[in-house]
Amino acid sequence: MPNGKAKDRFLKPLVADYEELLGRFQQTESVRFEEFTAIWRNMGFSSVFYGSLAGNEMREFCHLTLTMAFNYFLPPYSFQIRVGGLYLLYGLYHTQLASPKEKIRIALKDWEQIQKFYQDSVNSQHYDAVYIIRKLIAENAVLYTAMPQMLTFRVKKKPQHHKVCEEFRDRPERVKDLISTDMLQEVANIQGHHERLKASVLERSSIAVTQQDLPARLHSCVLEFLHWQDRHENHGDADHLVYAEEKAQQVESSNRAQLLASIKTKSYGCLAEASKSRRHRQVEMDTSISGTGYIKEATKYHKSRAPSLKARTNKNLCGEGDEQKIQYWLLSAAEEDKTALKRQKRKQSFRW
Amino acid sequence: MAAGSSSNVNENIPVFEYKDINTKPFHVGSFRTAWLEKLKPIDYSYEDKYEENEDADFAKEMGIAPETLDELKAICSVDTLRCQAEDEPLDTNVVPPDPTLQTLIQRKKKQDYKDTLRIDKISRVDHYQDELESLAVGKRPEDPVDLVPEGEIILSINVLYPAIFERFRYVRPHMTLQMLGSHSLVDLRDAICCISDLQVFGEFSNTPDMAPDFISKDHFKSAFFYFEGVFYNDMRHPECQDMSETTIDWAKTRDFPTFHKANMEDTRFYDLKVKVGYPYLFCHQGDCEHVVIITDIRLAHKDDCLDRKLYPLLTHKHRVMTRKCAVCHVYIGRWLTTNDPFAPNDPCLFCERCFRMLHYDKKGNKLGQFLAYPYVDPGAFN
Repeated sequence: MPNGKAKDRFLKPLVADYEELLGRFQQTESVRFEEFTAIWRNMGFSSVFYGSLAGNEMREFCHLTLTMAFNYFLPPYSFQIRVGGLYLLYGLYHTQLASPKEKIRIALKDWEQIQKFYQDSVNSQHYDAVYIIRKLIAENAVLYTAMPQMLTFRVKKKPQHHKVCEEFRDRPERVKDLISTDMLQEVANIQGHHERLKASVLERSSIAVTQQDLPARLHSCVLEFLHWQDRHENHGDADHLVYAEEKAQQVESSNRAQLLASIKTKSYGCLAEASKSRRHRQVEMDTSISGTGYIKEATKYHKSRAPSLKARTNKNLCGEGDEQKIQYWLLSAAEEDKTALKRQKRKQSFRW
Repeated sequence: MAAGSSSNVNENIPVFEYKDINTKPFHVGSFRTAWLEKLKPIDYSYEDKYEENEDADFAKEMGIAPETLDELKAICSVDTLRCQAEDEPLDTNVVPPDPTLQTLIQRKKKQDYKDTLRIDKISRVDHYQDELESLAVGKRPEDPVDLVPEGEIILSINVLYPAIFERFRYVRPHMTLQMLGSHSLVDLRDAICCISDLQVFGEFSNTPDMAPDFISKDHFKSAFFYFEGVFYNDMRHPECQDMSETTIDWAKTRDFPTFHKANMEDTRFYDLKVKVGYPYLFCHQGDCEHVVIITDIRLAHKDDCLDRKLYPLLTHKHRVMTRKCAVCHVYIGRWLTTNDPFAPNDPCLFCERCFRMLHYDKKGNKLGQFLAYPYVDPGAFN
């Protein structure tokens, strides 16, 4: 795809908008589509596509929006955020202004995850999520691809990895993954096998190297942990308070550091200009302020002398003078007048 | 852990080898069967699905009443996403005032800047550059036999231009072709247009009218593709040589894994095992090498061009500046002269007319001593 630079420009504000929208959706603590559309209308999200985008930029932008939004539809995000991602995709697909519509790309490797998500929604009776998935597929809004994006082997350009937003992340289920039902069954099988071997080899099977009821105990441990986690989740506010306190302390200390840094720059910013007799030893400003981590931009070295009497009189009585730029024509300018030969300063071109 | 890794063993699912750069190698045909297994035929068909059938299936699966279904449809309809009243006119070309979204704030900056410009020059080249992509979208063939079947694979292939100068490395001039999975590699080879194919070798100052009879394309017909350790040679014509011999023999003497050979005309894209996003090689004319990258593989869709005859489809082509005649600066240069006393510099480009006027008299006799070579401009395919 040509013009990779356009993508980088649009990426940050777009991700910021998505996270704003999904953040608000997360706060509603629901997965209903009505809630989502209320937030959508509130933010006026359809206007993301407005503004004249030259030529093919509109199509590329729509493609980018869908690709970025798709990231929120996959793990490791929590179920609510994934539903939000689905609604977001639906909304963006229908409100986009490119024609024919840009499609949603689904890679083969993600299909399993999507099927799991679909099953979860069906089991939890989230009618709107299920309906929307079915509608998207039925409307031919989906392209079934090998990879989520077109790959052009741009190795030198740092690939923009999608940064997972920590607030949207799902609670890690590491304990459940480690001690899964399959694993427990295997352990039980091995235990049974071991017991039988022991019984066939030894006459007295009172020697027990392993714990007899290992699988059952593992299972009960896991359940206990899950219950504790659930309870802890509800008392999550206590955690938040502690976290907030720590944060406040950090903010205070950084404020102090900032204050110190600003005082330093002020004192070193204005320099006394050396007199004319010491022209050869002009004072240089030390712009390296280390240790605070907050480095203010080096202020320019400028003359801080007050304007002279002549200048002040001129300004007060004669006005600003001729402000318009005088057009110098080389043929009509005086020979000694060198200003005609100076090139006009070029107007600054637009920088994003 | 043992339970989780079984899904990765399936090699037909493409996964990233290096994240966001390229995938591990996979077999294209098996990838297609993998997708077709997972989907119902109606999911990837070209027809519009009837709403009533869809609703009936949905109601049956979820076990909900028709009233709930209607309510659901009303809630989930697209109208709920509309951000302003229905009768308010909307100009989508202008950013709305007081934007709150970050993207809009950024866009407004550009729009405000544009308003300050007195003259807004749109480069004509940029304006039409991407028109080629949308030219063939949605085309249907007249003869139903030529319809691309449902479930067919479409590949997007980037073929880079041979010489990429240091300055232009970031642009990567290329041409993008779309091919069907059932095409063979010779179709791809024929679709790649490179100016080195049109080069005419030889000095023609004495016989300027005979130039077009010796095009390199007709003389040197050999070519090969290199994908994943296999060289695919073009053996259609008797004069084609196996250009990959030398490389394979050289590799045997060094520490390389053995390379294999195959015929280009017998290999279809379905039979290939490739990495998506990884650069491969196409070599023709002996030493004209192009980097070939397969950027995308996907199933065909209703909105694609569905006419078989139009494939391989050119979707993008970088425009190259043409060099003009040194005399008139109007026509593209066709002749290159060296050792020419009439020319201001050595070598010098001339268009056909200026060349004849300057170097030959009315009867066609050569004037003066010079060497003339036919020149093919890289921008000839624009």
